Amino acid sequence: MVILEKVRRKLGPGAAFFCESFHAPPGVQMALWGPSGCGKSTMLNLISGLLRADDGIIRVDGQETQGLKEGDLDGFRGERFGFVFQTFNLLAPFSALNNVILGMRFADVVPAKEWKGRAKEMLERVHLRHRLHSKPATMSVGERQRVAIARALVNHPKIIVADEPTGSLDPKTSEAVMDLLLELCREEAVTLLLVTHDESIAQRVPERFDCTGLVKEALS
Amino acid sequence: MSLWHIAWSYLWNRRFTTCLTILSVGLGVGLISTVLTLREETRKRFEEEGQAFDMVMGSKLNSPLDLVLSTVYFLSQHKGNIALSNYERLTQEEEVKGAFPISLGDTFKGFKIVGTTLELFHFDWARNPYTLAEGSYFQKPFEAVLGATVAEETGRKVGDSFISTHGMIGGHTHADHPYTIAGILARSGTPNDRAVFTGLESIWVAHEHGGEEPANHEEGEDHADGIGVRDQVTAMLIKLESPALRFQFRKRVNLEYNAMAVIPIEEIRKLYDQLLGMAKAVLLAIGYLVVVISSISILIGLYMAILQRKRDLAVMRALGASKGEIFGAVLIEAFWVTLLGLGAGWIIGTGTCWLLGLYLARYTGFQVSAITMNADLVTAYSAVVLMGLVAGILPAWQAYRSDVARDLAEL
Repeated sequence: MVILEKVRRKLGPGAAFFCESFHAPPGVQMALWGPSGCGKSTMLNLISGLLRADDGIIRVDGQETQGLKEGDLDGFRGERFGFVFQTFNLLAPFSALNNVILGMRFADVVPAKEWKGRAKEMLERVHLRHRLHSKPATMSVGERQRVAIARALVNHPKIIVADEPTGSLDPKTSEAVMDLLLELCREEAVTLLLVTHDESIAQRVPERFDCTGLVKEALS
Repeated sequence: MSLWHIAWSYLWNRRFTTCLTILSVGLGVGLISTVLTLREETRKRFEEEGQAFDMVMGSKLNSPLDLVLSTVYFLSQHKGNIALSNYERLTQEEEVKGAFPISLGDTFKGFKIVGTTLELFHFDWARNPYTLAEGSYFQKPFEAVLGATVAEETGRKVGDSFISTHGMIGGHTHADHPYTIAGILARSGTPNDRAVFTGLESIWVAHEHGGEEPANHEEGEDHADGIGVRDQVTAMLIKLESPALRFQFRKRVNLEYNAMAVIPIEEIRKLYDQLLGMAKAVLLAIGYLVVVISSISILIGLYMAILQRKRDLAVMRALGASKGEIFGAVLIEAFWVTLLGLGAGWIIGTGTCWLLGLYLARYTGFQVSAITMNADLVTAYSAVVLMGLVAGILPAWQAYRSDVARDLAEL
């Protein structure tokens, strides 16, 4: 499903990312785990096409993404991936409903006439039916992350990439959000790649990949 | 959810600064709009009225422009008179279709009293500005016909009487010769609205008894030497058989008559092209400068907004937005601001034109339309939209070339 082979990416003077091999089968829930700066987020960005590799093979859902042109890669990302970020990254001017609709706006997956219904359905599934028209600024951090999860799943993606999704949450909220994320990914049969530096969070995910040492100094 | 909706939402999210930017664009557009509208509308009205008469014959003491302004538009003071005998001679000329003597000099509450003949009212005008609203034309001495504005502002009705003043306000009155109002003209949107018409006989009688000379008593005036009150008039308004005869006939009059002939439309065009052309250029330059400054404020406002929401743009890219869509969304924001600025400017311009139009109607009689569209305005509005879009290009480019992974990583 997601395969990385000998993927190399220069990160700056004297530092580079290198992954010899990574395999994530379809529907797996996997934590990319390791200390800060080890290359977890770089790996997620390479997988989702937000970063281009300098060398190696990246294959997602049968598609080798390195060969895709920029516009095609944008479309591919919009269709196959859902994103959950540490700081939620909801767009402030838009209501919860419109933030979720934005998840469909740029990907050609759900027909436009179904956007509203699908967004409402997803917000219901994250228990936010009563917050459809609320702006992010008026919502709690837990609610905001639930909106972000709804946005990530609304497009029927193949893969959810979650970068420290509980990093800004208190322990209780963190637990609830993790429960929700794992449950929804399981129900939707979506692959979950979750980046965390927190071992206790990593332990909650069925599969783990240790990212320690992916970023190396002075790699030529 | 379209890019237009997304762009609008971001503008609304920072509505205070957006409104200020829109207002600054609006002020520039308003100024440009006002200058172009008023210039074009007043030019049209002046030219329409200037075309009403092919020629004016008056004293050589006047400048050509003064003669036109004082006798056709009743705006400035005339100098000197010409012999009435010119009238009889003019009517014999085969090129002349109609000649109308006028005698000026007295006023009623600041409005000029125009002594003339009934032929002026009964002539076959293409667009008759002498239609009666009520009453009748003057039939005997000291009967008068008021223009619509005069009647409205003085509150006088048919059958009322009034006393004329010698010269402008402040001169002595002709209390021994009160006028009776015989009729009131329908509003025509011409200088006639601000004039009082009476027969030449009224002017002559009023001035004979006081030992004065009609229309010959204004400061710095000269008069037709050695002729009596009844033998002189201020000017002759002339309608030729064809406008094509204007230049040829003016040349002949200036050679053969002891008077000066001028073509009103020519003088008005000179006035607009030379004096008002420069004023227009200066005001337009100021207007465009304001728009350029506004465009820079659009640029700065958008640029700062893009810096503040780099993360939002990166999120959209992560959600599948192409670079082109991001570029477009930012450019649309600039377009919205420009478009709304244009709308605000149009409202400001129309409001200003309406207010100034009231002033112009009061002091010139011309009614100008505040809502108009002409080639100059279309060009100006297009230039404003273009400047707004150009101002949006740099921030849009900044958004276009943003590094998504880095912007998402920055906290």
